[in-house]
Amino acid sequence: MITTRDKILSSVMKPTRYTGGELNAVIKNPADVSVRFGFCFADTYEIAMSHLGLEILYHLLNKREDTYCERVFAPWTDMEEEMKKHGMKLFALETGDEVTHFDMLGFTLQYELCYSNIVNMLNLADIPVRAKDRDESYPIICGGGPCAYNAEPVADIFDFFMMGEGEEIINEVADEYVKWKKSGKKNKRDYLEAIAKIEGVYVPSFYDVEYNDDRTVKSVRPNNENAKPKVKKRIMKDFNDAYAPDTIIVPFGEVVHDRVMLEVMRGCMRGCRFCQAGYIYRPLRERKPENLLGIAENLLSCSGFDEISLSSLSTSDFGGLKELTDGLLDMTEKKKIGLSLPSLRIDNFSLELMNKVQKVRKTGITFAPEAGTQRLRDVINKNINEEDIIKSTDLLFRGGWTNVKLYFMIGLPTETMEDVHGIADLAQKVLDVYFAIPKEERANNINITVSTSSFVPKPFTAFQWAKQDSRDMLIEKQNELKSSIKSKRIRYNWHDNKTSYLEGVFARGDRRLGEVIIKAVENGCKFDGWGEHFKFDTWMKTFDELGIDPDFYTSRERSYEEVLPWEHIDIGVTKKFFMRENERAKAATTTPNCREQCSGCGIASFGTGVCYE
Amino acid sequence: MSNYILKYSRDDRVKYISHLDFVRMFHRAIRRTDINFVFSQGFNPHPVMTVAQPLSVGVTSDCEYMKVGFDGEYSENELLEKINNAFPPGYKILAAKKVSGKEIDLTKLDRAVYTVELEYEGNVDIDGFLSNKELVVMKKTKSGEKESDIRPYIYELEKISENNGILVLKMCIAVGSSYNLKPQSVIDAMEKYMDNFKSGFMNVHRNKMLRGDVEYL
Repeated sequence: MITTRDKILSSVMKPTRYTGGELNAVIKNPADVSVRFGFCFADTYEIAMSHLGLEILYHLLNKREDTYCERVFAPWTDMEEEMKKHGMKLFALETGDEVTHFDMLGFTLQYELCYSNIVNMLNLADIPVRAKDRDESYPIICGGGPCAYNAEPVADIFDFFMMGEGEEIINEVADEYVKWKKSGKKNKRDYLEAIAKIEGVYVPSFYDVEYNDDRTVKSVRPNNENAKPKVKKRIMKDFNDAYAPDTIIVPFGEVVHDRVMLEVMRGCMRGCRFCQAGYIYRPLRERKPENLLGIAENLLSCSGFDEISLSSLSTSDFGGLKELTDGLLDMTEKKKIGLSLPSLRIDNFSLELMNKVQKVRKTGITFAPEAGTQRLRDVINKNINEEDIIKSTDLLFRGGWTNVKLYFMIGLPTETMEDVHGIADLAQKVLDVYFAIPKEERANNINITVSTSSFVPKPFTAFQWAKQDSRDMLIEKQNELKSSIKSKRIRYNWHDNKTSYLEGVFARGDRRLGEVIIKAVENGCKFDGWGEHFKFDTWMKTFDELGIDPDFYTSRERSYEEVLPWEHIDIGVTKKFFMRENERAKAATTTPNCREQCSGCGIASFGTGVCYE
Repeated sequence: MSNYILKYSRDDRVKYISHLDFVRMFHRAIRRTDINFVFSQGFNPHPVMTVAQPLSVGVTSDCEYMKVGFDGEYSENELLEKINNAFPPGYKILAAKKVSGKEIDLTKLDRAVYTVELEYEGNVDIDGFLSNKELVVMKKTKSGEKESDIRPYIYELEKISENNGILVLKMCIAVGSSYNLKPQSVIDAMEKYMDNFKSGFMNVHRNKMLRGDVEYL
């Protein structure tokens, strides 16, 4: 039979993005459940299917008999055009059903530049964008993930957010939904009041924001007795026993991370002052190696993937690394399965390990010194020194590697041109290390890539008060760096500063930005994370149209007294600690990692993890 | 170590999977069983397998063939059970046979039978169409587009039904390395040589692949 669906799918690129039906995708009869949940990721299939959080929450929700969780992703622009042409609405992958009247849609907020896609997806679903315009017949729209910690720019769109790790809280809000539905789903407010009592749930419409004359926030106060003055994040206290999916969807097409991802730990003990992930996922908690080996064996055999990768913020800090990798190598060598180890700090042990895993091809190695001088590395608390880098690269070059990528940020607080030159100097020193090794002890064709991104100050970091470098300043620094790199063996890549600018606006934005996002989508913005679709000028025109100055959010150094738009959210790490860290940064004083010495960040109140080792 | 010929089908659910994605899917499916591939020698060992006349994206089939090396001896039933359990819904192994020499040579497959269902307007006169001495259409080849007379490579063409603007055709045409014809080219020729005939969207299903009039497995 000739169908509209076939006509659409035959005329788009990569149609398997839209067909579902992959191995281990969950099939249920929608008539058998009370909750139809759409797990939404506002980007393409390939990005969404590389996200571990989706895999966890999808299978967790589908363990419930009363719930059917399906996947809902952003159609690429060719598909969007075809859908509009044929009157097809946003649909879920598993059943192909329209999501317009699902019970709940949950968006994961992984990066600020996906906001326009969220609005676009709601438009495609024919769902009113603003929470206040949706009655009980529409799905409850909720969000979670790292950007939910300051979701104020999209607060008017969402009914509620879940703060922190979703494994428990998502079951609790689903339970309440089932109760509300059984009671006849009379009033959306009843449901929101019921879940506002759950720890970690933030219902933005239950809070009033007042502003000062200078446009800063005056106060954020609950207007509903069920809403807590401060919303505290949730974590899995016993991470070793926390739910890990026993199955994994196997995509047909190639996705970004086409492999089993084994989450060995959550959180990070390093305390790099710019890094939001390092603070919001605290405290560091590990899974036991024997537990991980079981999970790995099971996921490999149910998926047939030929690669497994260890996932964490800093794999070298994992206590059971040797035991785990020895066990994994036993498993993988027999079946010709590749083991990849991202996020390693380079020392003797990891080099030995890399020699074991990369037997044939010596692929590239990436280091992240983040800053060019020791002073600036101390400012950001990146506890790595030049000697480490020199020693490690010497080991690498002698081990046969010739492709080294050095990753830096420009625009860090207190940075001067001297620090920018330091980046070129460091790259040159690494090159000198190579040439100092006798020819017969190193491989040919050295290649060093220096890559810089522009620093964006984030909420819940020591730099949350900092001024972001202007675009002009960043361009000046990029040009300065370009001209101070002398060798042809060193290549320089830099990140576009327009996206960093917009990211900076939303990262520390407030509720007034919601209108801008909705309007920008009307004006044609979407897929801002994709260079070919990013329309910077349209964004700027939209800010102008609505009389909102984006520089207000980026170019101001904030005082400690200012009420930050996200101050009613509690991640466990205290504002006092961030203030202390910010002052130590100004003095270029480092702070020891959690295993060396506790610095009293406040997260110990959660009663678990590295704080109690 | 033994070579096996597998005959398999794919239905609507998986018809948009490209050939390369199918190969990767098959590798993963075998890794989910306790069957081991035979790997090629060299720096980057890969499983030894060849697929006869890979299907175009969007086409369904009851008659795909591949030759694959497995490390071990398996009966037809064992292979069917193990692999079908590991396949995603939509693919199915229909038959399997161990081969030692060239008694089944997939490179010798030279024709295929298709059912084509298409939207159309105008008059359909198959006999008149086939009575043309030559049917010259633009055809994609490795070196670009060029004109080709496809008449000698249409072995059978038959109208199964026509109603409500939907025409169903059955055709037996050439496939393989010496001359490869796609159903689309036949439809292109019908547009060019039949008066007032216009075609629209079409669904293609491959029913059979043959060597002469012999069907393997």
